[in-house]
Parts: sequence; C-alpha cells; structure tokens
Amino acid sequence: MDEAIISVCNLSKSFGKHEVLRKIDIEVKKGEIICIVGSSGSGKSTFLRCINRLEHQTSGKIYYHNREVRDAQREINEYRAKVGMVFQSFNLFNNMTVLQNCMICTRKVLHISKAEAFDRAISHLKEVGMAPYINAKPAQLSGGQKQRVAIARALCMNPEVLLFDEPTSALDPEMVGEVLNVMKHLATTGLTMLIVTHEMAFARDVSTRTIFMDRGYVAEDAPPSELFSNPKNPRTREFLSRYLEG
Amino acid sequence: MGDSYFGITDPGNSLEWMVFLTGKYFGMFLEGTILTLYIAVAGTLLGFVLGYLVGIIQDIRINQGDFFIKKIVVRILKIIASVYVEIFRDTPMIVQAMIIYYGIRQLGVSMTPVVAGILVTMLNTGAYMAETVRGGIGSIDMGQREGAWAMGMSPLKTMLYIVLPQAFRNIIPEMTNTFLTNLKMTSVLNVIAVQELFMAAKTVGGNYYKYFESYMVIAVVYFVLCFVFNKLFGILEKKLKGKNDYVLAVEYMDNQ
Repeated sequence: MDEAIISVCNLSKSFGKHEVLRKIDIEVKKGEIICIVGSSGSGKSTFLRCINRLEHQTSGKIYYHNREVRDAQREINEYRAKVGMVFQSFNLFNNMTVLQNCMICTRKVLHISKAEAFDRAISHLKEVGMAPYINAKPAQLSGGQKQRVAIARALCMNPEVLLFDEPTSALDPEMVGEVLNVMKHLATTGLTMLIVTHEMAFARDVSTRTIFMDRGYVAEDAPPSELFSNPKNPRTREFLSRYLEG
Repeated sequence: MGDSYFGITDPGNSLEWMVFLTGKYFGMFLEGTILTLYIAVAGTLLGFVLGYLVGIIQDIRINQGDFFIKKIVVRILKIIASVYVEIFRDTPMIVQAMIIYYGIRQLGVSMTPVVAGILVTMLNTGAYMAETVRGGIGSIDMGQREGAWAMGMSPLKTMLYIVLPQAFRNIIPEMTNTFLTNLKMTSVLNVIAVQELFMAAKTVGGNYYKYFESYMVIAVVYFVLCFVFNKLFGILEKKLKGKNDYVLAVEYMDNQ
C-alpha cells in the first residue's frame, strides 16, 4: 500500500455555531483522483479550503507525509507550495499577463531561474492550449481560458497534489468542456487530484474514488463504479437520483 | 519710490500692486515657492512610504503556531501603528507642528524649521495614507490573494507583488489629493518660522501694508502649482492604465 500524501484526521470546522465539517477522516494517496460530490452547503468547498489551510479548522489535524502541518506561516507556505489549488473564480493576478501569472510563484516561491520558470510556464500553457495568449491580461480572456491558465499556473509549481474547487461552476456551459478536457488529460499523467465538482459524469468516468458529502459528514467513500451504480447510503441515492433526473 | 517693476513705478489699483510686489520681491516669492514645493514633495513622499508601511502592518495576520517573538513584535507594531494613526488624524497639523518643533527643541536636539516642517508633513501624511492604503488593499478581491497563498507565496510577498501594485493604481486619485492638500497645508508651517510662501506673503504685505494684494499673489502661485500637478497626475494615471489589446504569440499557435 502506498503511503498517504495527505491524511486528514478528525477534522471539524465551525463558523460560529454553524458546524460545516464534522469529524472528517480521509487519506489521499499518490495517483488517486478523488472527486467530492454533494449538495450545496454540504461543506465540500470548506473541506478543500481546510486542506489548503485557507480555512483554519476548529479541531482535528492535517498530515503531509505523516508530518503534521501546524498553524505557522512558514510551515503553511512550504506545504502549500506542494499542494496546489484551482479555484471556482480562477483567482488570476489581474495586474499580470498570462505568462507572468505562471512565472511569479515559481520565481518567488521556488526561486528557480527566469529561463527555467519561462520554460515551465510555456510547457504547461501548451498543455492547456493557452500558450498563444501569454501576452494577454486575465481581463481579456474568457472564463474557460482563465481557468485553463489557472490550471497551468498551478502545474508550474509541480505540485504533488492539486486541489480543484468547483473549477467549472462559474463557467458558461460551452466552456465547461474545454476545462474538463484539460482535467481529463491531467488524470492520465498520474497527477494526484482532489476535485470538488457538480459534474457527475466527469466524477463517474475520471475519478478513482468518489466521496459523497452530506451536512458536513463524509456520507460515502467508494470507487465511482460502486457509488454511482449501487450507492449504500440513502442520502447518496437521493442526491444522485435528483441529479440524474435534472 | 523710484523703483520700476514691469513698467510700474507708482502702483494705483490692486492689480498694479500685485504686479509691483511680485516684481520687487520676486526672489522672496520664488524662494518661498521652492521651499513650499520642497517641503510638500519631500514630506509627501516620505509620508507615502510611512503610510504604506503602516497600512501593511495593519494588515498582517498572526497564526497561532507562529514563533512567539514574531507574535509579540507584530502585536506591538500594530498597537504603535493604530495609536499613531489615531493621534495624527485627530489633531490639527498646525498644533502638531508647534508640538513637534518646540518639543524636540526642549529635548535639546537642534532641528531647523524646514526639517521640522518636513517631519510634520510626513507624519501627518503617513497617518492619512495608512487609511488610504488600507482601503486600497481592501479594494483588491480576496481571491487574488488566496490564489497566491494557495501556491505557497508568503503573505508579505503576496502583498508586494500582487496586492500593492493594484492597490497603488486604485489610490492614485487619493494620493494626488493628499499631495495637493500638503502643498497648501505647508502654509501653516509659518508658525514654526519656515520661510515658505505664506511667510513670504506675510512679510511682503507688511512692508507696504498691502496684505490683500500680497496674499493674492501667493493665491495665484498655489493655484497654478496645484492645477499643474493635478493635470500631471491625471496623465500618470492614464499611463498606468495600460493597453487594452494584446499580441497573440503566434509562435505557439500550432499547439492550439
């Protein structure tokens, strides 16, 4: 059995009195493609943000290669450099071109040379089909293009795990496909991914493991073949049937 | 009198007096103008630096697991910053000038009025700029910062490379305002004997008992200075907006 890259132990998160995550235990192993599905408000996004330490958990621990990631800025920075994230709203840097967006973090965080940062940026931008747009500013791109740049930007850091927080939810329907195709391609490269999504077909076809979250709990955690065809939890069944109808 | 300036030897109406006084005390007005500009520019620039520093300090967040010295230092800096901002925003500049100038002299440190003037302008500007910078930082959506943090960029670097360049552009109009205010506020520094424009007008006016005309002269000078700088900053702002189009990198097109 491979060693887990990220282990989440007993993670809980409350915003005031509102409990968003309740005692979550999950291990992410190398090469896994985990899709997290569930209705809105079930805590999927908060869970992903906790993994990247953008939210601070109320209790519980996160381990990276069996070492606890403590709440100290330096440790968090080092950990985040290995665990990339792609956001629903892209979060590109508006003051920079596409190329600069892809180079700034490798230059300032990993301190690699300008030439190497450039090569990395170009190769990953080619991977997502955005290389011709290196001179454009984010405001000049469509949503799908922005998200592909955001993916390339995250890839430039050579992350061990890449987190996707509803990467297609802010996109027009005709742009969802181009982003999903990029993600499908990444799945074939062996990159470990944790994806919060509402794209059920994508989750079923691409993930190696699907997690159904419900009211802050992990209600079901199974290979997609099982979860989608024979869900054990009645809540999962209810959720999936609603999705398949709609 | 006998003197002739711009063809006027015996000024009659106010306009003639203004021309006459300008001619006769040209050197004095010029020195006053230069000093006013010098104090305003130096004080404002230093104040901007201070304002950015304080604004950044106010934005630092502490993590529970951070090293305890870092926590203590940050807390102290934050307290100093907020006390400073409060004090300088809640007292008049003219009073600050008196207190700082005479206070420092009482401490036995010699300081020329000009240096004291720059110091007061800087401290005053810094307090207002800190608030402006805070607003500017707040105007940049949280997502961009999270995007940088999520890739391991430290909050300080995120501030320097992502947030401040954009915040800077957003607060240029406010910075222009601050500079123009300072240009005019240097006039209060005559209370600590800085020989700036206001002081020049006071002196000149006293020589002929022509205060109205003398102050009208410097009113024109202040107006022209502010007007010109306002236009210059307007041009700068447009320049910083950047281009609206971009060039496709055709050498990578085949990959599409």
